[in-house]
Amino acid sequence: MSLMSSPLGPVRPDFLTRVTPVARLLAGMIWLVASVLTLDPVVPIRLAAAAIVTIVLWSGLPLRRIPGRMAPLGFAILSLTFFSIVLSAANSDRALATLAQIGPVRITGPAVTAGLSVGLRVVVIGLTTLLVFGPSDPTRLADSLVQQWRIPDRFAYGTLGALRVAPFMADDWSVIGAARRLRGIRASGLGRIRDFGDRLLVMLVAAIRRAERLALAMDARGFDSGIRRSHFREMHVTWRDWLTVAVALAVAVAALTLDR
Amino acid sequence: MTLPKPAAKETAESAGKSAGFGSPSIEAVDLEWTYAGRSRPALAGINFLLEPGRVLLVLGPSGCGKSTLARALVGLVPHTLPGRWQGSLRIGGKDVATTPARFLGEHVGLVFQDPDSQIVMGRVDDEVAFGLENRGWARPDMQARVPEALEQAGLAGFGLRGTHTLSGGEKQRLAIADILAARPSLLVFDEPTANLDPPAMHATLERLAELAERREHTIVLIEHRLEAALPLADFVLLLDDEGRQLAFRPAGSVGPEAIALLEKSGAWVPRAWKGTGERRGETEPDKPDWRGDTTAPTAPTRQLLLRAEELCFDYPADASGSHAALESVSLEARAGERIALVGPNGAGKSTLLFLLAGLRRPSRGSVGLREVAGGDSSLEDLRDPSRLRPQEIASRIGLVFQDPELGFVARTARDEVAATSRASTSRHRRKSRPLDSDGVLARFGLGHLTDQDPFRLSQGEQRRLSLAALVLRPPAVLLLDEPTFGLDRRGTEAVMSLLDEQRATGQAQLLATHDPRLLPRCDRVVALDQGRIVFDGTPAEFLANPPYSPADPWRDGAALPDAATNSGAGPGTKDLR
Repeated sequence: MSLMSSPLGPVRPDFLTRVTPVARLLAGMIWLVASVLTLDPVVPIRLAAAAIVTIVLWSGLPLRRIPGRMAPLGFAILSLTFFSIVLSAANSDRALATLAQIGPVRITGPAVTAGLSVGLRVVVIGLTTLLVFGPSDPTRLADSLVQQWRIPDRFAYGTLGALRVAPFMADDWSVIGAARRLRGIRASGLGRIRDFGDRLLVMLVAAIRRAERLALAMDARGFDSGIRRSHFREMHVTWRDWLTVAVALAVAVAALTLDR
Repeated sequence: MTLPKPAAKETAESAGKSAGFGSPSIEAVDLEWTYAGRSRPALAGINFLLEPGRVLLVLGPSGCGKSTLARALVGLVPHTLPGRWQGSLRIGGKDVATTPARFLGEHVGLVFQDPDSQIVMGRVDDEVAFGLENRGWARPDMQARVPEALEQAGLAGFGLRGTHTLSGGEKQRLAIADILAARPSLLVFDEPTANLDPPAMHATLERLAELAERREHTIVLIEHRLEAALPLADFVLLLDDEGRQLAFRPAGSVGPEAIALLEKSGAWVPRAWKGTGERRGETEPDKPDWRGDTTAPTAPTRQLLLRAEELCFDYPADASGSHAALESVSLEARAGERIALVGPNGAGKSTLLFLLAGLRRPSRGSVGLREVAGGDSSLEDLRDPSRLRPQEIASRIGLVFQDPELGFVARTARDEVAATSRASTSRHRRKSRPLDSDGVLARFGLGHLTDQDPFRLSQGEQRRLSLAALVLRPPAVLLLDEPTFGLDRRGTEAVMSLLDEQRATGQAQLLATHDPRLLPRCDRVVALDQGRIVFDGTPAEFLANPPYSPADPWRDGAALPDAATNSGAGPGTKDLR
């Protein structure tokens, strides 16, 4: 979610920043579907490569900031891949040849293939999310959803408001933890679960109050008052949008079928 | 400079656009409002008639219904918030209770206190356009109007900036641009400067003064910083702590009996109303002890409780501005010393508090904390807070957050006070006298609320409870982030006298604050700017020559040059320019 809620940094104008967010969303969905269609790890490798090329050449994203932002996801992917390989059912299949032996754990070829394929799919999801949400701020996506996909205002801009509250929740969470530490509140054993619940409750109370204030401010400015809403920024579907979706589709088909 | 031109344009355009409504009068007749689920009304017996184009300043203690009145003026009460409405409130002749919210919405605008919870959009121009979109403006009109509104609010050229990159003061001016954009004829400001540092407050009030000057809007202003706000007002409405009207008078002729009632209610009272002959630097002339009675305990013989050496802190490059970096900050606090920590938003005050409390590790430098005041004064027992266990740290340092709610750990006020002592090690429990929580709550004026849920208390009560929670085992050093934020005079006095008591026992206190009124009650002022200490000295030295530009807002906030000159200002007299 942090990919969406806090901007990556200054985005310079480039091809993808001029593509309507819904077109990017559609293109991204095509890749996500393609990456889950087979178990073959080659498909996500090809899609990930295509995504990296797109990010570097056409996204306008600040490239130097990306590794830092993706680091937590990278760690998650590595551990996911590792456990997928180690815990794979294929390891207990005596018919398969042993690839490696780590203590009591036997690793087989198909286990590695399956694990890599799981990990690589998450890589594709991460990179695609960056391409869909990175090049423009969430307001554009809301505009685009309302104008092109006829999503109700109330839902789209309401969600946008909620998205603004999200980063504050992260701040609140760390302040709550800090306050408890300084009060000498120390939880151990099962108490930790209770402690976690208490912290969560405080954070939710704070978030609800913040959301109430924001909702009141939105109402005070005439949001959802029954007048038909107009649009400050018109979202036009252009050749770029069609081209983006078409190229995404072509890449997905190629990734799936290249050597078959 | 550029003001006359847009002003002329605005007049011509608004004449065409909102003809028939003009700047409206406000007429309240026996207005009473009770929020759903409450037994006592939030507002009662409100009767006044404000002529079009006038500026009304609403005064009263915390919880007096000022915000409720603001909500009623824009129709949030009764249209959005549930409750019981009696009497009538007419704006430009239209009854608020029976006029659809969308009609009212076209003519009124409300700026709230918290800049962060009224901004919806990611980019400045989208944000200004949001209210226009909601009202169905045509796109070309919006494209013409958005830059105009930004210019009027002093944000020309900010259109493409991300709203999250703005400072607190800029956000509040953006909120002003938001409401100006729709050309409302009634503007309501609900403590618009409460979250701002003095220069940002000053800039915001200057925008208000310009608006008031032009007489195109009827303006209702709720503001705690009275010295700057009173000169803007034509009329004042005084409310008591139960939301009842004490008086409605021209700003220049408020009678002594009304002022006495207002003072009794615990509200801040403009200094101009308290007779003449006050000296500079006296915030509360009728309370000589307000400045604190312990004088300059900076003698180096006092025990050192906190030492920070060459603290540096670099935030990761992509963290977007919620915390500032620090560069080589050194600071010492001795027993019984109260230090004010000042500086603009983003100067690094909260980062410093977090580092001192060991909640973040400095990139370089060190922090040392002593366990309790008294005892041997060798430097060996200065310990790094980030290496202490929770039970060890609570006796050395405490932090009261600006939003006390986030620190509450219990479901009743009584348990809240008991929680800290329960968490103490057995060694401490044996040493400390068995004080009962109820006794502590009574001393903090919370005796009637022992079984209340801390989340249901008022802002002032929450602040006092957060201090009460630290009493059974007071930390040697107490850090406070904006301890008087949003409190009225009574609330501020209550908090400060509780702090005085603690200080008398040898506690060192560090107050991060935007409120210059607190400075005379501190022994030292440490001023931060862009992560560096730019001043460390006495409050008098600081106020004589504040290390900021512009410096006047700091000086004036603590001790306005005799405000009595404005006290004779009747309707139409505007001095703040």
